[in-house]
Amino acid sequence: MVIKRSAPLVLTLRHENLFVNTIRNSIFAIVFPGLVRSARGKADARHETGDTLKRKYSVMAVATAAVIGGAMVAPITAQAATPSILIWVDAPRLPGAQLYAAIMKGKVDVKVELHGQADLLAKVQLFNRVKKGWPDVVFGPPNDVSVLKNPLINNALNLDKLLTKQEVANFGHGNDWCKSSTGTYCVKNDLAQTVLWYDTTLFKEFGYTVPKTMEEWAALGQDIAANHPGYSLGAVGDQGFYASYLWPSQCPLNQEKSVTRVVINTKSPKCTRVAKLIQPLVDSGVLSKTSYFDASYIKDVGQAGKIVANLGPSWWGEFVLRPAGTFNIPAGHIATAPMPLWAGEKVAYSGEWGGGIYTVSPHSKFPRQALDFAIFMVGDKRNLVTVKNPDGSHGAPTFPAYTPGNALWKAKVSSDKYYASDPFPAMLTQSTKIFPGEKPVRYDSNGAWGAAFAPEITKSGDLQKAIDAYGAYVTNLAMQLGYEVTKS
Amino acid sequence: MAKTKHYRHNNGAMYLMLTPYVLLLFFFGLLPAILGLLEIPKPSMANANGGWDAFKIVVHDFRFAPAFKHVLGFMAIFVPLMIFFVIGMALMLDIKHSPWKKWLRMAYIVPASISGAVAVLVWYVILQPTLSPIKGALKFFHLTESTQIWQQKNLVYILAIMAFFAVAGNWILIQYGSLQSISQEILEAARVDGCSVFQMAVRIKIPLISKYIIYMSVLVFAGGLQIFVEPQLLNGGIYSGIADAWSFDQLSYNLAFMQGDFGGASALSILLLIPSLLGALLVIFKTDMFEGAQGHIKKKNIEVQGF
Repeated sequence: MVIKRSAPLVLTLRHENLFVNTIRNSIFAIVFPGLVRSARGKADARHETGDTLKRKYSVMAVATAAVIGGAMVAPITAQAATPSILIWVDAPRLPGAQLYAAIMKGKVDVKVELHGQADLLAKVQLFNRVKKGWPDVVFGPPNDVSVLKNPLINNALNLDKLLTKQEVANFGHGNDWCKSSTGTYCVKNDLAQTVLWYDTTLFKEFGYTVPKTMEEWAALGQDIAANHPGYSLGAVGDQGFYASYLWPSQCPLNQEKSVTRVVINTKSPKCTRVAKLIQPLVDSGVLSKTSYFDASYIKDVGQAGKIVANLGPSWWGEFVLRPAGTFNIPAGHIATAPMPLWAGEKVAYSGEWGGGIYTVSPHSKFPRQALDFAIFMVGDKRNLVTVKNPDGSHGAPTFPAYTPGNALWKAKVSSDKYYASDPFPAMLTQSTKIFPGEKPVRYDSNGAWGAAFAPEITKSGDLQKAIDAYGAYVTNLAMQLGYEVTKS
Repeated sequence: MAKTKHYRHNNGAMYLMLTPYVLLLFFFGLLPAILGLLEIPKPSMANANGGWDAFKIVVHDFRFAPAFKHVLGFMAIFVPLMIFFVIGMALMLDIKHSPWKKWLRMAYIVPASISGAVAVLVWYVILQPTLSPIKGALKFFHLTESTQIWQQKNLVYILAIMAFFAVAGNWILIQYGSLQSISQEILEAARVDGCSVFQMAVRIKIPLISKYIIYMSVLVFAGGLQIFVEPQLLNGGIYSGIADAWSFDQLSYNLAFMQGDFGGASALSILLLIPSLLGALLVIFKTDMFEGAQGHIKKKNIEVQGF
């Protein structure tokens, strides 16, 4: 009972990138890294406001304590014949990583540590200072690759020489995100391409057909507002709005053109058309102003079975619609369709929400063994299909970016009776249509959705204003990191 | 720190007792401050040429002014609330002896055990209309959606409430303790002269404990200025980004660990040290806090100066 009640609480501690943690894992797994991270990295989490003289020095003390702490927890590098690697993964990846450690016993010494996705960026600066402590291979949010390969941080190994021809071929275009003119700096865990998720039962009941264009999508929203108030087409108060609307519409927000130039232009017609078309749906409440993971949205809309359809990433079904801890949609309801087309476009693009990456540290003594772990995670049946998760489900919830792994995952999902019809074909269609203009950038482009966009949309409910707020915020961040920001 | 200044006896036991404090002060106070100072002029991404420009750069950071506004707003609520509420409660607790008092004192301590990280969770539930145990009250104020509550403009209030409940209990007990130190003879004399309970509190007791009040004000001020845990955790929660670089400490943390700008972070930290240091000097030189046991009535209560 306590556990059930706590599920929304667990959500409160999810990290910046919503993809990070899973509701399906134990409270311990979620709460603990969150709290411990702050207690350790921020080192002075225990001090209460204003009750000790020492606080005066807290910031300084934090830095020192963290440095000392960082030095002390540095792993002992094995000089023995057995290679040893240190892996950092987040909660959803933990069962697979632990399984890998067990499988490799005797061959490779695998040490697995549970870390929130943002941990590496926070700690790597300290590791660089004390010149030790770097984990060998880390699962992280997709944008990290750009931050980590920055020479000032230098914690993403160029994998061009390590990846075999076969492996490169197996990724196909699935690993494009990790490539730049100088090399391949990460391995994609999964593609998080958006598709149209819909509830077949509600569609039948209301007499709807699946929208093929964004105009039809908006019209669907108008009809819901008029005839079925209380029902929803999703929420816009988080990064999901970027992945589902702005990115597929090709709105230039984080379009890195070179190491020194990024295009951010919220006044582009590709941006304003989103605000114009979607604003009425926000006004009527068909699109909620809050986050999908807001406790009231989960309870009053998601779990109440009132989501008629929404544009969401490929992990939406396994990770959000299905688990009892989130929307808990019963079997036989859910199906997918390709993304609706924006007027005047030829390709119905997707955006990505999540789609994590593995990076290997250039400081690793065993880079190939480290990369092997990443390949296991994206290509081995034991992780993708059979590994048991703490909530009783099996396998990975995400759409593997690696072709052999993808086939295994397809077999699992396609035959799953949970779905009203096979959800895989739409995902496959969209997997090659992720609009490639948006790029990994050196600033925290994902965090800015929470910092600038969400506050404005909850305050004014005005999409264009909120998009502008995001644009202004990332423009500041980009300039601080030495980018020239241009409008086109 | 300067606590030892006026002790002139050469006393081995005294030094022995002092040692742990001096060691802690050195390793967690002075040494980090010195390291911080040395760090500032080093070149970084933001301060490519190095040098003391780091101060200028950090003050002109686009997040500095908002953080200033937030922390100022937070303190404007938190500090006066603390002082008036704590003193008020302590005085009331001091009025009459009753067997209930020890239980009351314990009750004050309880909320203080819900500090920092846990407080964020507790207050998230309380202020989340779907989950809240005070749903009725929230509804009365027409607060039925979480988007009405969890907005950036409300954060100063929310964080002030969190911080208040986390630390008020301890201070009530401390100030109650300071009230116990008032000589019974003075109180007796006041009573004989026909002092009412209210007059006794305002005219006699408050002036007699004013140095403790100033001491508390300075500590509460320093603590408030450096608020970090609550907004940082909130920022990583469901409304991710809602309190991004909300306070100075967070900005400093972001500079150091998100942007690798240790010089800028150090510069900001040193800047933060200044007001707290001034507060401490105020306590030492402008009050008789450390002048020995016998307190005398100050002309006026200067708590606002710390603020």
